[in-house]
Amino acid sequence: MTDFDLVWKNLFRKPLRTILLTVSIFMAFLIFGILTSLNVALDRASESGSASNRLVVSNKINFTQSMPYAYINRVAAIPGVTAVTYQNWFGAYYQDQRTSRFVGFAVDPETYMAIFRDEARLTDAERQAFLTERNGVIVGKSLADRYGWKVGQTIPISSNIYSQANGRRSWDMKISGIFTGAKPTDPTTAIYFHYDYMNETITFNRDQVGTITVVTASPDQNDQVAKAIDANFANSPAETSTVDEKTFSRAFLKQAGDLNFIVTMVVSAAFAAILMIVSTTLVSAMRERTKEIGVMKTLGFSSPRVLRMVLGEAVLLSSLGAVLGLGTSAFILTGLSKSPVGSNFGDLSMSPVVALTGLALAVSLGLVTGAIPALSALRMSIIEALNRG
Amino acid sequence: MSLLNQTGSVIAMNVRSIPQRLWMSLATVGSIALVVAVLLGFLALANGFNQTLKGSGAPDVAIALRDGSAAELNSTISREQIDLLGQGPGVRAGPDGRPLISAELVLIVDGIKKSTATKANMPLRGIGPNGLLVRPQAKISQGRMFTPGSNEIVVGAGLLREFSGFELGKTLRFGAQTWKVVGVFEAPGTVFESELWADAPVIQSLFKRGSTFQTARVGLTSPAAMPAFVKYVKDEQRLQLKAQSEQTYFADQAERSGLLIKYFGWPLGIIMAIGALAGALNTMYASVSSRAAEIATLRVIGFSGFSAFVGTMVEALVLSALGALVGVAICAMGFNGLSASTLGAGFTQVAFRLQVGPDIITQAVTLALTIGLIGGIFPGLRASRQRPLLALAA
Repeated sequence: MTDFDLVWKNLFRKPLRTILLTVSIFMAFLIFGILTSLNVALDRASESGSASNRLVVSNKINFTQSMPYAYINRVAAIPGVTAVTYQNWFGAYYQDQRTSRFVGFAVDPETYMAIFRDEARLTDAERQAFLTERNGVIVGKSLADRYGWKVGQTIPISSNIYSQANGRRSWDMKISGIFTGAKPTDPTTAIYFHYDYMNETITFNRDQVGTITVVTASPDQNDQVAKAIDANFANSPAETSTVDEKTFSRAFLKQAGDLNFIVTMVVSAAFAAILMIVSTTLVSAMRERTKEIGVMKTLGFSSPRVLRMVLGEAVLLSSLGAVLGLGTSAFILTGLSKSPVGSNFGDLSMSPVVALTGLALAVSLGLVTGAIPALSALRMSIIEALNRG
Repeated sequence: MSLLNQTGSVIAMNVRSIPQRLWMSLATVGSIALVVAVLLGFLALANGFNQTLKGSGAPDVAIALRDGSAAELNSTISREQIDLLGQGPGVRAGPDGRPLISAELVLIVDGIKKSTATKANMPLRGIGPNGLLVRPQAKISQGRMFTPGSNEIVVGAGLLREFSGFELGKTLRFGAQTWKVVGVFEAPGTVFESELWADAPVIQSLFKRGSTFQTARVGLTSPAAMPAFVKYVKDEQRLQLKAQSEQTYFADQAERSGLLIKYFGWPLGIIMAIGALAGALNTMYASVSSRAAEIATLRVIGFSGFSAFVGTMVEALVLSALGALVGVAICAMGFNGLSASTLGAGFTQVAFRLQVGPDIITQAVTLALTIGLIGGIFPGLRASRQRPLLALAA
């Protein structure tokens, strides 16, 4: 019989107790796995599609305020700027304003596809079709899957902001292509269509652009270019604020609230609870075994060996719960990614970093919960142990 | 000895023996307290936000938006439409004898969220003299109201609490214009407290809005006048607007934010509860096995199995009730009244306070007692079925 066998047998000496402890640990790691992965997905969403040499120019008052169309050429003329494109938020929805809203931007197809070639992947034929079809629209794969859209189909896209001069609130758009993201983890729940098609039909806010995307010659020039752009429009009715893409989308995501903080609090609470439950139960389990430990020591088991075995049992217990918990959360996350709510986050599946952090936590949890019983077993003299209980 | 007496003495024995299993019992109390605290934290967050939205709407004020707009930001209303609204049935007269209508504009400006130090959307609302009349809750608490026709702003106390950039006396720049913050207003428990207010005509001219507005709030003679007014707006072809009571408008937004509880608070609370339940079961089984000899003795001298069951059950309930108490205390002292903010339905930040109320305390305590109940039943059954002689022999 090896030490491991002994540890394993000890662990299941009272099967019900062990199963209940495993359930407690399982639940803590389930919470850890799901919440941490959600948090990672959100962080990634703020970075997906942001390149280090791209800047976002928006109205300094707030990004919902627009800028004159003429700004595009003025920005393009600033030294260090190699390409520009622009986009207008459309407040897009399909059929039902409440349940089927999604990201929709009016863009300039040629410059947009040149800059976001990787973020919105299309075939050459689709790209060509989008350039030539004036009412063309490219839609993200997840959206197309959700509504069963096919290339070539014409769909009515409505806006909760704009209406047409003829009173209609929806625009007929022909699907030129269905795009996929650079990585499978990137969310593809947006649509892009021709700025011109929108601009000539809307009743207000004509010849205005929402944000301008700028590509700089290299990331080292970002600061300098951003300053030059903002200086160019200083003291004008529409002053600008230029930041890199990552900063822009992070700030936007943070508006909902500090999710990082909430996740940390909840995961800590779950682990604190489990730590209390497991360590006190293990202490009482070891107390039952005091006599046995005395016998083992009498038989010549060294104190360090007893210590290792007690710690091993605790680590084994927490790892068992952790592996099951992490596995189940990975399974749930995969399912969540496919749901309409989850698909907005892109790929939710558990990253190796989260899984490894979880395992490291499991080992630490085992060591911490096993520490008290292990130390008392280490210190216990044979006489004392055999006399007790 | 009657069954009642038997049960009473077993309960007393059980509860008094808790200190013998002090650490495990404390762990049960602690873990249940944490479950209650987490659930209550989420519920208080949702509750505070919902109460703020619900507290904002008056039943006798109608809000008119362009038909199809879900939020004020996406709406437009012309001067002519405002005049038509004034001809509707049941419209109250203002102090000047004219219909009490507050024509307003809302646009978004940047503020800095203190908790994250990132930019956030602040609503800048243009109002006229009637703006305060349709919001009787609002009072200037520091400084003074803006002077009509000037570039002056008053800031809500909730916004000041959560965001920086609009402190009293500060000069701001929007585009080529400078504005001065001249006052702070309070409208406790409403979304308006998260807004910046300025003179509507000044906003129209400086933000190039011509003579258009975005929304109109119409004061009616009584809440009973609402249906007739809503119908008038719907039927009047020249309006193309949708009117609803301000109360309904905000209640609707509150309903949508209930998702926070649905998708986050309750599932988390339940998962943690199952974890704590497993701990409670362990503690109670340990209690039963440590008292095996005691239970057997009682059975031999004629105590019923039922009394053993109830004794264990009550011990579990006492532990979970203690846990609930600690959890509620943590929330009431630590979270209640805490200020927070999030992006509201109007695409602007809403500052609110966490509210721990009786409703949600009841929900959280119910969850805790359910843990106690289930955590007591199975060990209790084991105690009641224990065979007296076998236990004594061991």
